[in-house]
Amino acid sequence: MFSHNRNGRRLLGGAAAALAAALLIAGCASTATTPTATTPDEGVAPADMIKIFMAPKFTGLAYFEVAKVGGVEAGEELGFDFQYIGSDQPDATTQISTLTNAIPQKPDALVVSAIDGDAIAPALKLAREAGIKVVTYDADSAVDARDLFINQLSYEFAASIMLDAALLNSPDGGLVGFISASPTAPNHTAHVKIMKELIDSDSKYSSLSYIDTVQFAGDDAQKSQDLALAMIQANPDLKVIISSSAVSAPSAQQAIVNAGLSGKVFATGFALPSSVKDFLKNGDSVAFALWDPAELGYVATVAAYQLATGMITAEEGQVIDAGKAGKYTVGKDGEVLYDKPLMFTADNIDNYDF
Amino acid sequence: MKLTLRSWRWELILVVLIIFAAIWSSTLSPYFLDPVNLLNSSQFFVIFSLMAFGLFPIVVQGEIDISLASTLAVGSVMIGKLAVSGIPMVVGLPLTLLVCAALGAINGILVAVAGLPSLVVTLGTLGAYRGIAFIIAGDIGVTGIPEEYLTLGSARVGIVPVSVILVVVVAGLLTVLMAFTRFGRYSYSIGSNHRASRMAGVPVAATRIGAYALGGASAGFAGLIWVAQYQSARGDNADGTILFVVTAVVLAGVSIKGGTGHAPAVLLAIVLLGTLQTGMKLANVPGTSQTLVIGSLLIISIGVPRLVEIARDKIAALKPAQETTTIKHVEVETRV
Repeated sequence: MFSHNRNGRRLLGGAAAALAAALLIAGCASTATTPTATTPDEGVAPADMIKIFMAPKFTGLAYFEVAKVGGVEAGEELGFDFQYIGSDQPDATTQISTLTNAIPQKPDALVVSAIDGDAIAPALKLAREAGIKVVTYDADSAVDARDLFINQLSYEFAASIMLDAALLNSPDGGLVGFISASPTAPNHTAHVKIMKELIDSDSKYSSLSYIDTVQFAGDDAQKSQDLALAMIQANPDLKVIISSSAVSAPSAQQAIVNAGLSGKVFATGFALPSSVKDFLKNGDSVAFALWDPAELGYVATVAAYQLATGMITAEEGQVIDAGKAGKYTVGKDGEVLYDKPLMFTADNIDNYDF
Repeated sequence: MKLTLRSWRWELILVVLIIFAAIWSSTLSPYFLDPVNLLNSSQFFVIFSLMAFGLFPIVVQGEIDISLASTLAVGSVMIGKLAVSGIPMVVGLPLTLLVCAALGAINGILVAVAGLPSLVVTLGTLGAYRGIAFIIAGDIGVTGIPEEYLTLGSARVGIVPVSVILVVVVAGLLTVLMAFTRFGRYSYSIGSNHRASRMAGVPVAATRIGAYALGGASAGFAGLIWVAQYQSARGDNADGTILFVVTAVVLAGVSIKGGTGHAPAVLLAIVLLGTLQTGMKLANVPGTSQTLVIGSLLIISIGVPRLVEIARDKIAALKPAQETTTIKHVEVETRV
C-alpha cells in the first residue's frame, strides 16, 4: 500500500515533467511559426486596420499555398492585415472549428474554400451575423451563407477545357476514364457529368467515348496512381485519363510513365504547371489545364476587402475592380466568374512558375 | 483513502494539464477567456465526446472500434433522410439509434462470436459502413432539415448550449454504468483477462456485443448532433475524426490492452485536447504545428509515466537483490 502511494507521487512528478516538456515544445512550435503571419501581433494592430482571414480547405496543398500568395499580395498592396488560417486535416469538422474560432478574432472578412459547403454554412452564417463579410473561392458554400463566390471557371467551361486537352493528347479520340476527388466534391461531380453530356451530344467531341464508372482518389497521390494503373489494366483500349483534381491528374500521368505506356495512354485535366512540367517537356503528355490560383486568391481577397470597406455590397451587376487582375461583374446569387483558363503545353510551360 | 487517490491520479494529472493548457492558451490569444466563445467552441467537441464515450467500454474490454465515424455517417444521413421525408423525431431518432446499434452489434458478433481481431473487423466495416452512408445519402447529401431535428444544435440554457450539458449528463451515466453495474464490472474483468473471466462465468460474448452495440448507438446519437449542428448530412460526415477519438480515449489513461480507465477521464481528456486546439486555432497557429503539439502531448503524457515506471522497476530490481538471494538461500537450505 505504502509503495503504491509512493509510485503515485512519482508518476505525478513524471507527468508534471511531461507537461512542462509538452508546453515547451508547444511554445517553440508556435514561436517558430509566428513570423509566417503578416502581422505577428494582431492583438495590437490598429483598430481601423482592415483584417482579412483566408481559410483554404486545408493547409499544405500546393494549390492553396499558391492562392495564398495572391492574398498576401493584395494585403500588401491595399494595406490590410492578411492572415492565412486553417488545419492540415482535410476534413469538414476541423474547418468548422477553424471558422468558429475565427469569429471572436473579429476579422472584417473571411475568404473560404469549403470542404463541405452545407456543413460549414452554420459557422459562416454566425460570422455574417457578427458583421463579418464572407467570400468563397475555389469551392462554394450554401448560397445564403456567403456574400460572394469567386468561381474560378464555370462548370461548363471547365468541362470543355478538359475535353479540349484530351483531344490535344489524343487527336483521334478514343476511350476516356475519369478520376474525381470524392462523390461529395460538387465541382468534380458537375465536371464529369457535363463532360459525359458533351461527349454524348457535341459533334466536336464525338470521337471520344467514356467509361461510365467514375473512380474516386480523394486528392491522394498514391491512390490516384493505383486507380490510374488499375483503370489502364482493366481497359486495354483506354486513351485518356481525365481528372479535375490537381493531385490526381499529374499522379495518373506518373502511373502511365511508370508503367512504360507513355505515348499510348495520356493523363490530362487540371494540374499545377510545376507538377507537370517534366511530363510536357518529355512529351509524355501534350496538355494540362488550370487557371492562375494566385490571381484567383488575389481577386477573392480584393473582393473581400471591397466588401469590408463598403465599396461594394455584393449586389448583382456591381463591378469588382481588381486592378491588374481585371474587372469582374457580380452575377446571379452573388456568383463572380473568374473564367480565365490556362492551357499548358510544352511551348508555354516555362512561362508559369507556380 | 490512499487507494482511491492512487486510482484517480491520472484524472488529477489531466486536471493539472487542463489548467496549464488554459493558462497557455490565454497567453496565446486574448480571445480565449471570453466565456461565450469558450462555450461556442466547446460545442464543437460534443460529437467527439459522444464517440469517445461509445468507444470507452470497448477499449476497457481490450478491443477497438475504428468504424465509429462511419457509423456516425450512417446515423447522420439516416436522420437527415427521415427528417426531410417528414417523419417526426420521436420515431426517427429511435429508429436510427436502433440501426446504428445493430451495425455496432455486427462488429461485436464478428469479434466475440467469430473470434476475429477487432482491428481487422472494424477496419472492414469502416469502409463498408461509409459505403452504406453514401448509398443512403446519394452523392449530394441531405439539406433542408426541418427545425424539429435542429433544436439540439442551437438550444441553450442561459448561455450554455444544451448539447454541452448533454455531454456532461452522458459522461455521468457512463460513469455509473462502468462503475456500478454488472456490465461495467464484466467489462473490466474481460479486459484484464477474458479467458479467466469466461471460466468465472462472465458472459464474455454477450458483454462484448453489448459494448459494440452501445458504441454504435452513441455514434448514431452523435450523428443526430451532427445534423443539428451543421444542418446537413453527407456520406463523408466525420470522415477522419476517429484518430482524434482514439487519441482522447488513450489520453484518458485507458489502456489499449484493456482492463483499466475511468469514464470521467475521457471527458477530461477531451477538455484538455479541446482547450489546446481552441487556443491554437484562436492564435491562428498553422495546422501542421497544431498536429505536432497534440501528437507530442500524447506521446509525452503516455510515455513519461511509463519511463518513470521503468526507472522505478530498475531501482527496485537493484534494491531487493539481497532479499532475493536470501530467499534462494533459504530454499536451498530447505532442499538440503
